[in-house]
Amino acid sequence: MIKPGKNFIIRQILHSYVSWIVKHHFHDLKFDPVEIDPNKSVLLIANHFSFWDSLILFIVCRKLVKKSFYVMAREDTTVKFQYVKYGGAFSINKQSRDMLQSLDYAAELLNDPQNLVLIFPQGKLYSNFVNTMQFEKGITRIMEKAEGKFQLLFAATFVQYLKHKRPTATVYLKAEPSFGKSLEDLKNAYQMHYDNAKLQQTEIVI
Amino acid sequence: MIPQRSNRLIKKLFAPYLAYRLRKAFKVLKHDEIEVLPGHSILLLCNHFSWWDGFFAGHLAHNYLKRDFFIMMQEDHLQKRMFFSRVGGFSINQKSKEVVMSLQYAAHLLDNPNNLVTVFPQGALESNHIDEINIERGIDYIVKKIKGDCQIIYYSAFIEYFESLKPSVYFRFLNCGTNRDFDFERLKAMINEHHKKALKEQVNAEH
Repeated sequence: MIKPGKNFIIRQILHSYVSWIVKHHFHDLKFDPVEIDPNKSVLLIANHFSFWDSLILFIVCRKLVKKSFYVMAREDTTVKFQYVKYGGAFSINKQSRDMLQSLDYAAELLNDPQNLVLIFPQGKLYSNFVNTMQFEKGITRIMEKAEGKFQLLFAATFVQYLKHKRPTATVYLKAEPSFGKSLEDLKNAYQMHYDNAKLQQTEIVI
Repeated sequence: MIPQRSNRLIKKLFAPYLAYRLRKAFKVLKHDEIEVLPGHSILLLCNHFSWWDGFFAGHLAHNYLKRDFFIMMQEDHLQKRMFFSRVGGFSINQKSKEVVMSLQYAAHLLDNPNNLVTVFPQGALESNHIDEINIERGIDYIVKKIKGDCQIIYYSAFIEYFESLKPSVYFRFLNCGTNRDFDFERLKAMINEHHKKALKEQVNAEH
């Protein structure tokens, strides 16, 4: 398992670089205002359709949540792009025994109220056009281990061009105050938010 | 109504620029295969979800369907960028009485088997995520006014990112027959069925 790198200078450089490329690539980045509990860490659950979504959520974290950003990434990605660990990425490998270690590490991070952990429960890249989200099992282990210490936040991201040359990214955020423990409950709660977000996206007519 | 004012030279010069702009903004433009009928003009219908749609259609017309490209645009949009009339754009204003003139103009262009006319049947910009394609009645009018042979082709385009920071575009073609065996209601049903199927397949797209 690869742990996040702690290098203040590289992290700052990455911050500025990510802000710059997101500003450069997107016409606009929209997100809903949600209230963040200062005494709890944040577990952010999001759909995964591109490399951009961690970068987009990184910016959202900086602007809105204002906590230290950590993201669970696939091991091959973390190995290929070594620098992402300085941006807060830690690795998980589904095929190896390390997996439990990674999940426990995520739970550990959630014990500190200053942290935000981003997890893509889909486990790999899917199309932006999926209707139902797949959830891998590991997420429940994290939630059990860190029970009561974190605030659960759902994010559904959509990218659209419409009348602009550059795309607009819209992140629909929702704080989920009460949630069940089982995977099925979590999945249903997320699905409801995702469907709602998608509906709002498709209603746009210009 | 603003007619198209293109000429061969400007179109020839514009094609490489268009290719350059698309190459710069997108990773790949992937399309599937479709049988193009020889001796037929093409009425190209597509979903309208972005600023780039006209460019996509132009690119496909030039490189794949091999026809002379014309496109129906909203009048206020064309007025803002009159240059587009030099590369095949002509206008339509849905609120004015001239709307029939624009439709007839499109049909007239389609009399020539070397031409391709792109029309956005939705008549408005809509999200890329919709699963219903609204088709305006004007399409029916255009097709019925065509005197020559014309093939009707529809495509659904989808933008995806996957592993790349640059987006890719996936085009999924549908052959909607010709103007000789045309039925508006059937076209509507065909396109909507195709779009839903394409959306479903898109979820399993290779990347």
